Amino acid sequence: MNDYANIWLHRLKWTYLLLVVLTLMTPVIYVMYISFNANGFGANEYVFTMEWYGLIFSDELLIGALRWTLMLAVVVTVVTVPMALLAAKYYKAADNKLFPVFLLLAPLFVPPDILGSALLVFFKNLNFAFIWFGDQMRTSLFDSWFRLSFLTATIGLIIYTIPYSFVVILITMGRYRPEQTEAARACGANGWRAFWDIEFPQIRAGVFSACSFTVILVFNEYTRTSLLKGGFDTFTTVLISQMLNTGMSEQSYAMSALVSFIAIAVIGSIILATMLRAETLSRVARAKAEPVMS
Amino acid sequence: MTDQKAPAVDVRNLSKHYGDFVALRDVNVTIAAGEYFVLLGPSGGGKTTLLRTIGGFHKPTTGEILLNGQSVGHLPPDKRPTTMVFQAYALFPHMTVTQNVGYGLKVAGLPKDEIAEKVDYALEQVGLSQFTHRKPHELSGGQQQRVQLARAIVLDRDILLLDEPLAALDAQLRKDMCLELKHLQEKVGITFIHVTHNQEEAMTVADRIALIANGNLIECGNARDIYRAPDKAFTASFVGENNMLRGKVSEANGTSVIVDVAGSKLTVDKRGLSVRDGQEVDLSIRSECVALDPVNGTNTPADGVSIVGSFHESVYLGLTTSHMVRLPDETEMVSRVIADSDDSLPAAGAPVRLSWKPSDIRLHVD
Repeated sequence: MNDYANIWLHRLKWTYLLLVVLTLMTPVIYVMYISFNANGFGANEYVFTMEWYGLIFSDELLIGALRWTLMLAVVVTVVTVPMALLAAKYYKAADNKLFPVFLLLAPLFVPPDILGSALLVFFKNLNFAFIWFGDQMRTSLFDSWFRLSFLTATIGLIIYTIPYSFVVILITMGRYRPEQTEAARACGANGWRAFWDIEFPQIRAGVFSACSFTVILVFNEYTRTSLLKGGFDTFTTVLISQMLNTGMSEQSYAMSALVSFIAIAVIGSIILATMLRAETLSRVARAKAEPVMS
Repeated sequence: MTDQKAPAVDVRNLSKHYGDFVALRDVNVTIAAGEYFVLLGPSGGGKTTLLRTIGGFHKPTTGEILLNGQSVGHLPPDKRPTTMVFQAYALFPHMTVTQNVGYGLKVAGLPKDEIAEKVDYALEQVGLSQFTHRKPHELSGGQQQRVQLARAIVLDRDILLLDEPLAALDAQLRKDMCLELKHLQEKVGITFIHVTHNQEEAMTVADRIALIANGNLIECGNARDIYRAPDKAFTASFVGENNMLRGKVSEANGTSVIVDVAGSKLTVDKRGLSVRDGQEVDLSIRSECVALDPVNGTNTPADGVSIVGSFHESVYLGLTTSHMVRLPDETEMVSRVIADSDDSLPAAGAPVRLSWKPSDIRLHVD
């Protein structure tokens, strides 16, 4: 706030900001609140308990779904983020930027139901084609390549998450000066070494943010996953299935709250660490900036 | 194997095209080992393209580059005997000064103690021994450029390329750094190729200067010749403060020609150039070689080394004063003198005579 700003306008801005955050977080806080109620959702009486958290790990359905979700998240992140990084590097170097950015962001503009159904039909036909090809070759080697499975869900999620990762990495890359890569090359580093020693440390925050974002997106995604997953369940498909059929179990509330706690703790720690580091660096810079007598 | 007698850089028939745009056109230049060579020219003329092509950051469209006698067209920047200092933003911001300077040595796989020793020596050379643990953002612009220099010279490469290394610095710092660069080059003895659009910077550091404009190498020579005796009209118009006059040859016999300029007949040394009667030519005279006198009854008549015009105005520039004179054809000429007294200035519009020594005016036919 500068010296001439209106104090009430300043307070109004902060109130607005807090209201936005509260609106966004209230449903999550409500789920956390229910997760500690011994009588579950909708009960007249609220009795605090930690029991549901203890029961999470005995709920085979939830733990199995969580395991599949984590596996999907890891595989999708490992594939998506390097692909997005390469795409961002290509984009930065490209003369015509409109075409690559259109290609990369196009999946964002296709509604999830349509993209999921399109991929479902595509994989089914691809599966038939592979089976036919195997039959011609008199082998069953190609029979299950594109049957709905972990692979098809992974491909669907990669298509879904790449645009987000690309944008997140590109934002961090925007501040990177290509002269530094050239300077590294002039110092004798080959292309990979220049990237690893000079560029990567400066875009690392973007790459890690893209990883976190991809994991969250995989946890969050329902439509494409449910259409392409084959014979296993993810955390979201279990929760939505429960809500549509019997209502969420108390363990599910506890699991949702636990995942939210972990996500908030991780993101909060990153923000806190970044702020503390910035403060330390600025203190060191101020100390060093004292004139050196020579 | 490196040819010890070969020039440090030999550029042969080099052209560089970007689609329809021609950045360099059939450039030929040879730079001797240990020479401080400056590529001078206006922005967008192609000098940085030439430098970056020598450094391996651009591939030539046609032509060849030989470094120490070896063709290097197929080699990337890290495999060439060159290193480079950039205009700005090229220090690694996440590394300290020591780490920046030692980076190339680390890449080369040298032992840590040897790296430390070489880095200390390089930082001493550029006067930054007390800033070793600072990050680039904790240094001034001049200090950052010194770190770049140290990072380049520590590698002991044969050729150092400098791409407008002083352009981001203020005027005084640029002057100081110019001299430092020159002294550093004399100390380390390697070939420096320095790109700049600033002629004062070029004159301060260069053994030889190549003038580049519109993708062409216009002229190449030692700094004094480029300034005092430019061969091409473009060189005269770009380097120094030259009066450029356009005229028509009225007589071209023997060793001199007579050129009609704004109603006066000027005598100019032919310099062995081929000219014919009626040909349009350019003449150049450095403004500091032009004397200004009021026209009165005692003035000698037209003598081939003077021209009459009307006084326009004077501009005080500190060390010098520039007197502007309009010729009858509206061409403006400048007489620059080391004086700051305006007591005896003619009135605006008064007739004046501008004169010079016969050897100060030059003929250009390009």
